[in-house]
Amino acid sequence: MGYYHTPSSIEDALSIADKYNDNYTFFAGGTDIQIYRKQKLDLNEHIIDLSLINNINTISMKNGTLSLGAMATLDEIFVSKKIQNNFPLIAKSVNSVATPVLRKTATIGGNLLVKNRCTFYNQSKGWRDSIGSCLRDVGDICQVTGGKDDCYARNVSDAATALIALNAKAVLTSLNGVEHRLVKDLYLPCGIKSHNLSKGTILTQIHLSLSPVKWWYKKLRLRKTLDFTSLTVAATVNKTGIVRVCLNGASMSPILIKESLDLLTLELLIKQARKHCKAVDNDLMPLKYRKQMINVFLEECWETISQKDTRTQSSK
Amino acid sequence: MKGPIGRRTPFIDAIDKATGQAMYTDDYKFPNMLFVRFLRSTKSHAKIKSLDITEAESYPGVVAIATGEDLPISFGVLPTSPDETAMAVKKVRYQGEIVAAVAAETIESAQLGVEKIKIEYESITEFITPQDSLHKCEPDEQIHPHTKNNKNIHKIAELRFNEPEKEIKSASHIQTGKFKFAGVTHAFTEPHSTLAIWNRDETLTVISATQVPHYLHINLSKVLELPLHKIQVKKPSLGGGFGGKSDPFPHEMITSFLAIKTKRPVKCTFSREEVFITHHGRHPTEMSMSISCDDDGKLTALDTDIIIDGGAYGSFGVVTSYYNGVLLQGPYKIDKFGFRTQRAYTNKHQCGAMRGHGAVNPRYAVETLLDMMAYDLKIDPCELRERNFLPENSFTVGEFRITSNGIRDCINTVREKSDWDKKYGKLPFGSGLGVACGFFISGSALPILWNRYPQTVVHAKLDFDGRVVIFSGASDIGQGSDTMLVQIAAEELGIPMEYVQVEVADTKITPVDLGSYSSRVTFMVGNATKTATSNLRNEIAIAIAKEKNVSVNDLYFEDCRVITKNKSVDLSWMEAVEIAMAGRGAFLESGFYISPKLGGKFKGAGAGLSPAYSFGAFISEVNVHPKTGEVNVVKVWGAHDCGKALNPLSVEGQIEGSIHMGLGQAVSEEMWYKNGQQMNANFLDYRIPYSVDTPDMDITIIESNDPEGPYGAKEAGEGPIHPVLPSIGNAVYDAVGVRMMELPITPDKVLKKLKEKV
Amino acid sequence: MSLIQTKLTVNGYTHSLLVNADETLLFTLREQLYLTGTKEGCNQGSCGSCTVLINGKPVLSCMTPTLRCANKKITTIEGISGGETLHLVQKYLVSDGGLQCGFCTPGVVMTAVPYLEENPDVNRKEIKESLSGNLCRCTGYKKIIDAVENASKEMKK
Repeated sequence: MGYYHTPSSIEDALSIADKYNDNYTFFAGGTDIQIYRKQKLDLNEHIIDLSLINNINTISMKNGTLSLGAMATLDEIFVSKKIQNNFPLIAKSVNSVATPVLRKTATIGGNLLVKNRCTFYNQSKGWRDSIGSCLRDVGDICQVTGGKDDCYARNVSDAATALIALNAKAVLTSLNGVEHRLVKDLYLPCGIKSHNLSKGTILTQIHLSLSPVKWWYKKLRLRKTLDFTSLTVAATVNKTGIVRVCLNGASMSPILIKESLDLLTLELLIKQARKHCKAVDNDLMPLKYRKQMINVFLEECWETISQKDTRTQSSK
Repeated sequence: MKGPIGRRTPFIDAIDKATGQAMYTDDYKFPNMLFVRFLRSTKSHAKIKSLDITEAESYPGVVAIATGEDLPISFGVLPTSPDETAMAVKKVRYQGEIVAAVAAETIESAQLGVEKIKIEYESITEFITPQDSLHKCEPDEQIHPHTKNNKNIHKIAELRFNEPEKEIKSASHIQTGKFKFAGVTHAFTEPHSTLAIWNRDETLTVISATQVPHYLHINLSKVLELPLHKIQVKKPSLGGGFGGKSDPFPHEMITSFLAIKTKRPVKCTFSREEVFITHHGRHPTEMSMSISCDDDGKLTALDTDIIIDGGAYGSFGVVTSYYNGVLLQGPYKIDKFGFRTQRAYTNKHQCGAMRGHGAVNPRYAVETLLDMMAYDLKIDPCELRERNFLPENSFTVGEFRITSNGIRDCINTVREKSDWDKKYGKLPFGSGLGVACGFFISGSALPILWNRYPQTVVHAKLDFDGRVVIFSGASDIGQGSDTMLVQIAAEELGIPMEYVQVEVADTKITPVDLGSYSSRVTFMVGNATKTATSNLRNEIAIAIAKEKNVSVNDLYFEDCRVITKNKSVDLSWMEAVEIAMAGRGAFLESGFYISPKLGGKFKGAGAGLSPAYSFGAFISEVNVHPKTGEVNVVKVWGAHDCGKALNPLSVEGQIEGSIHMGLGQAVSEEMWYKNGQQMNANFLDYRIPYSVDTPDMDITIIESNDPEGPYGAKEAGEGPIHPVLPSIGNAVYDAVGVRMMELPITPDKVLKKLKEKV
Repeated sequence: MSLIQTKLTVNGYTHSLLVNADETLLFTLREQLYLTGTKEGCNQGSCGSCTVLINGKPVLSCMTPTLRCANKKITTIEGISGGETLHLVQKYLVSDGGLQCGFCTPGVVMTAVPYLEENPDVNRKEIKESLSGNLCRCTGYKKIIDAVENASKEMKK
């Protein structure tokens, strides 16, 4: 039912991808995509396993800039002293993903590009056959809203939330060359096509240099392990007083609110978040509760970031 | 006790399990074996208009296909409701019901074969909620033709004693509540699995992950129309049951049928999603309940009206219906008592028996109302309960015979250990303590199938090698019953455990035992094993007494020797064995257990009768986040009266496991449906607590030494779950002042209540 | 369907196998090599019953393509204890009642063994956290954590 490719370089991976056009799937850690394969949601014939490629799993610091290889596992990032000392927000976020053993396989690149989720889509083939397929699958309506145009599947990347709050950049490599793009600009407000990487592009590195003076992170989930997020909020304040608050798990793409601390109020923060959040009832947690938690999280977040004194943290 | 009874004893199969050598059903492989996959219904309620298997039959690798018409004889665990067929016949009643089965050379070709089957449905009105099912419908819309008055009500169970409704109208103190409970499922880690072999001598061997080889044996015989003596059911190592493997299942019938049809070994193992679909878990339940008491806090009456959502088939539902009511007769003395339970058929996965069968949800209601009563009367909740406990050696209003009863020790223990008097009502807002009690049967005194046989028989065989083999139909499902058999034999014969081995749960070799359900095994099989092995001891003693010219009563069996006090006889075990076997060879002694005659003469008097009842009291401490509504259970103190802990290690394990499972139902687990379709049929979305979600536990075993239990033992596997849930609910009230009348207590529900309160 | 030739080194022995692209290591171990100690509880990465080691690192074999494992050293539960001698984690799981039905146990062992090897100095809370991907429905986890804690103490001696 398919072909398994294990390229040893980015160039090889890209040329294999190029050869098979739209009929391939990149495997990073594979912990997310593997389930899509099993559920027949990913039917591409060619699997291109990126795990044997050298030099894209390193974690390094140079002149205050952190470089994360996209194939670095969440666990490697968490245990890295460089990260724990300089970027505790990243450590906190990656450690809130999945379970300890999964974090030893799951990669930061994979988490950033994790597929959007919906309770009506992430199901077995037999299940989907029962309910009638949705527009993200082979059907023509959204099972949540009944609409025919938009898919509201949620972006559930916890790492993206933190990295966007830290103003991180992604390095994208394709046969056309290397491109640097802000992580926040990778995403599209669409449940189906959740990111705008063109075919034949591999996310290879993440760079960041922002060392915030204050930060805050919290993930909403019922259990303290395994669960995908129902709402993740990450926030930073930099030396010049610029606040970056990122919300994810609520809407089709991460929501970034960036403002000077002098101009920002809690009310404004909540208003902005609510304005950009297109939440529908497609999660295990009820919609109303998730919306309430946006306020609660932002209130708690605001308490930290609006303080004048030293850096603090809070987390779930 | 000089032997292993009462000692912390690792399970005899623990090393096999810890090294991966233990064989579970799916670990067996036979030459030339086929694999089964199923076509399952995509509709909740529909007629099968057409079913075309021709293309599937010729698909490469497909060897045989079975459909509903092949096995039309209905079956069910209870003889009162054999309402299920192996595969849907003419219509389907829930999404996921098996319609056809494909046996093929590989799992993959079986699955691809399934996908080639063509089926057309014609939808029928769906009954998704139990309320839908209480209304009249057109006859051809009924889920089952046998329900009365054109409604989809499976069973109404009702008992009333001394007009509780009158008392509740006039009593000075009344508490009333409406409660709602989501369904939950067993979620054992080993998926269902069955392997069937058609032997050359035209007998059928079925290896299956079942808690009840005996009922499977009987139902296989019925459905396959094969004489009982031609069927052998064996249970290998089993990865958890909790009630969820205690029905005979369609896949067991189908796999066996396909083995007979193809004359090849056939194996079927479920995916996790199929395990959820198969369900048979705790019924979603709605109830209104009232209790009343006098000015001293003495309970005077309890009355409750309950609707349970049975799903598409009967399973244990008739028993569940009764248990919802009758198991509220303890641990408190209530003289005016009544209940009515209606079990509705709906077009969803069927519900059945799950740990704490039938009584977990109404127990939550009782204990919550008691807490409300205590609060209103300004009586400490522990104190209020103490004023109402049934005494030992008494009878309940419905004529349950209470023998040993350690409930007072239980509540005193947890009260003291949790520092209740200093903490209850005094912790800062957001933290709280809650208490609850419970009780449960140690085996049902009445068998499911009425017959003149004992409830269990155990054989103990002695052979020249000095080994004692215990033959028992008891099913070790992970609770450690095999170890219990060995402990008892070693205790009775004064020999080390390694001299004792077991042959268990094999209907060809082992005498009938009714199975591992209703917490019956330690009490009933334990007693039978004790009898069998003490008979064996007696036989040995008689032979030695004759040869050595001493009295049988002067012989002691201990430390692997047989001695008299004055050492005139001082034999090693092997010497004793040789004397006992001289002139006769290996021999076998038998023991059995029959429950004493119990209970009243009224209709329904048999439900909940047991030779002994366990008791327990639990206290939970919780933190509730006032802004998010999140409930964090910090610690649970549990004290359980199991009569006598034959193996304290496993009794503790049962109580700790009950806390975990009770916690799950209390705060996070839910069979979540939309329009009859389960939304969370996997471990990611059906949210069972993991290690980090599970609280600290402090367990105390209370030993009341039951007069009829083996060495005084009663049950410990199910009773401990009952108090867990309401102790958490009551703790939430102590923490933030809101009454949670709906389970699971998820953050959204807590927050809603908190907002209503303001 | 195309089968691909690969070499798989499991518990020290190298097998030559034909596998397909979507075949998981769990399937290969159980169905091709008949190493049934590794259990399938969910086949979806949620329960931890299928945990094995690849080059000493724990992974969920249900999420791992077999073809990713070529030239790597795989250790399964069968490779943990050499015949008679139990690993300390196994020893204490047995003696402390850290298993009941036993179905999750191989996964617990394969998670705890590398964890203790990598983290010789751990407290109870850390052990609890390290096992937070292993679903056990029987024990309530307490005695599993007891066992791993006791194993850790003895390993330090």
